Amino acid sequence: MRKSMFAVLAVIALLIAACGPSATPAPTTAPAAQPTTAAVSPTKPPAVPTTAPVAPTTAPTAAAVKINNPPASAAEVDAIVLAGKNVQVTYWHNRPQKDQDLLQSMLDEFNKSNPYGIKAKAEIAGSSYNDVYNKVNAALQANQPPEISVAYQNQAAFYRGQNAVIDLTPFVKSTKYGISDADMKDYIQTFLDSDKNPQFKNEVLGFPTQRSMEVMFVNLDALKKLGYDGAPKDWKTFEEAACKFAKDNPGKYGWDVGHDASRFAARIFARGGRILAPDGQSYVFNSQAGVDDLSMVARLLQNKCAVEIPTSESFGNQNRFGNGDLLMTMGSSSGLPFFQQAVDKGGKFKWDIALLPGADQPNAGMDLYGASVSVYKTTPEKELAAWLVIKFLGEKTQTTKWALATGYLPVRQSAKADVIAGFKADKTWGPVADSYAKMFDWTKYSLIESPVAGYDPVRLSLDKDVVTKLIQDPKSDVKALLDAAKASADKVLKENAPK
Amino acid sequence: MIYSVLIVGAIISICPFVYMIMTSLKELGSVIANRFWPWPPFGTEDLQFQNYPDAIAKAGFDKQWGVPLIVRYFANSVIISVGTIMGTLITSILAAYALTHINLPGRNVIFIAILATIMIPNDLTLVPKVVMMYQLGWYNTYLALIVPFLASVFGIFLLRQFFMQIPKDLFDAALIDGSGHLRYLWTIVVPLSRPAIVTIALLNFIASWDSFKWPLLVTRDSSMRVLAVGMQQFQATEGGTNTHQMMAFAAMVVIPVIILYFFTQRYFTEGIARTGIKG
Repeated sequence: MRKSMFAVLAVIALLIAACGPSATPAPTTAPAAQPTTAAVSPTKPPAVPTTAPVAPTTAPTAAAVKINNPPASAAEVDAIVLAGKNVQVTYWHNRPQKDQDLLQSMLDEFNKSNPYGIKAKAEIAGSSYNDVYNKVNAALQANQPPEISVAYQNQAAFYRGQNAVIDLTPFVKSTKYGISDADMKDYIQTFLDSDKNPQFKNEVLGFPTQRSMEVMFVNLDALKKLGYDGAPKDWKTFEEAACKFAKDNPGKYGWDVGHDASRFAARIFARGGRILAPDGQSYVFNSQAGVDDLSMVARLLQNKCAVEIPTSESFGNQNRFGNGDLLMTMGSSSGLPFFQQAVDKGGKFKWDIALLPGADQPNAGMDLYGASVSVYKTTPEKELAAWLVIKFLGEKTQTTKWALATGYLPVRQSAKADVIAGFKADKTWGPVADSYAKMFDWTKYSLIESPVAGYDPVRLSLDKDVVTKLIQDPKSDVKALLDAAKASADKVLKENAPK
Repeated sequence: MIYSVLIVGAIISICPFVYMIMTSLKELGSVIANRFWPWPPFGTEDLQFQNYPDAIAKAGFDKQWGVPLIVRYFANSVIISVGTIMGTLITSILAAYALTHINLPGRNVIFIAILATIMIPNDLTLVPKVVMMYQLGWYNTYLALIVPFLASVFGIFLLRQFFMQIPKDLFDAALIDGSGHLRYLWTIVVPLSRPAIVTIALLNFIASWDSFKWPLLVTRDSSMRVLAVGMQQFQATEGGTNTHQMMAFAAMVVIPVIILYFFTQRYFTEGIARTGIKG
């Protein structure tokens, strides 16, 4: 008996073992590169169209409106009744705990003040956009998406391709729940424009809650010593200053070449080029702007005016710039306090941020960063509740608080004065508050890289097949490198295009 | 000569740990500016012990328990690690015993099939496992964090190799004395296999303690998160990394592992050596 009992136990143990993980528990490494072609099933079967059960007081004709999921018009959104539904909204983001606490405190305000009984809750879904992307994809497979999550424009496009996120246009335009014209004018227009997706007939697949941009960091003292009274305003002067600095300061460099597709994109924009064609149907980074840029990079490398920052040296340009080893570098505006601390402890020189050369010229621009928040397809009531949460977070009070806590730009013009005043009073941001303030004037130059599904492998390719190859061999044919990368990028674009 | 090589090797091995501790005691500016020794006599900076309370504060506060979240993370890491170790040991011991002492039909085929599962990349089964957790209603529970790891192929393999070295005569003698399989297993085999068992426990502890992706995918609330997930928030943002605080947090996370290894390293070495898994 004991023998047979033991055999049963042993068989069970074997079965568990065979069904268990193949090795040790979950790996500790950061999530792998985002899958861009994997099929993701639709989030949920389309819900039964909800008809407004009770005649709403403000829209007497609403009961007659058939509400699709997602709503296809402002009138359908107007007809949704939220009162008494006690809708719960979950918001997945990638901010650290202190921002989670702030976000939840703002949502608590919303929970208390909204007349519909909506309860919103923020949850940390990882520390990077990649983490959130992986978590969302797994949740979509299980038909358990959150109501809202942060998503970069290309990620939102990927979700939209699976019919998993919704177009927010009807919600924005809703007379009952939308945003007034005055409020829309207060939003920074280029931020709003960045969420209109060319692959999906300019559907609004996200809404901005924060933004930052690629800027140029310059050592003003060193530039003055070289005979310049400020940051170079054109690429010829940029190249000349970089080489003068390197020549006068052996072992130091005028500029750095980083392994980052966004840095490449920012320079293309500043030269009047684009990464993606306006219709979203092909990549165009192999234009004359791309050729001119890479030719410059090659010359700077060959003449020892620029240095490579290897991928292993995370944020190495901050260190080198702070120590006075670089005359100029480029990076996200959210790095301002990091640069300040690097300079304070390192070279202790006068520095500032500037537009990339030429970025203020006609057709040129600045690379705009920052994920938006997208709403997942659930039920019309939940979608509306999610929209109301987003609308609340975009109000001046909330966007001001958020910008002050995170260092991102607020999404409204009216928040500018309060945010700058707040930064001036802050120990971390105080020294860079004036530099930060400049960016409000630069928002009009904002452009986004590529809001299409499948952009992530293209980003990798831009680094691996273009920038890295050029660093390894500055004599490479830059046009050929760009053309080859464009061909493979277009292939990815086609594979990920809406079916 | 060999001692010189070992000393150099030991110094190289300990460098990351020393770097972590040193960085955890610097100001961020010194970290960014690559100042190796910012303290006297080469610099003027004080040792920044404040980085530790700052890291704890930045990690957040658990309102439910009224403690810093790091305490909650720590408790969760302990619960999950202990649960995983216990479960893994039970399944590994039983499975390895069955594969060595019970004449199951196709025993070797079963063993090869188990070993073959090592070939399946974890990432491949990740999403299906997450979906299962949702479907079972285990999302955001300890069950999701423990149950999928209650079996270890490596553990079965290691113990099987170990059990095979135990003379059959012992088993025959135990049978003559009236012992059954379970009694023989718990009173003879397990005590003799202590080094291998400790090795499996330690390896599982490290893997469980360090695991990041799975706890992130199957938990929702801060109160269910583990230390590795808590530490992630100190890592890179678009602007830069608060390296000094991250290192302070990392130091607090890694200390339990070091203490455990310190007390078990003798068994660990023995366990690896006696099963022939060595370089």
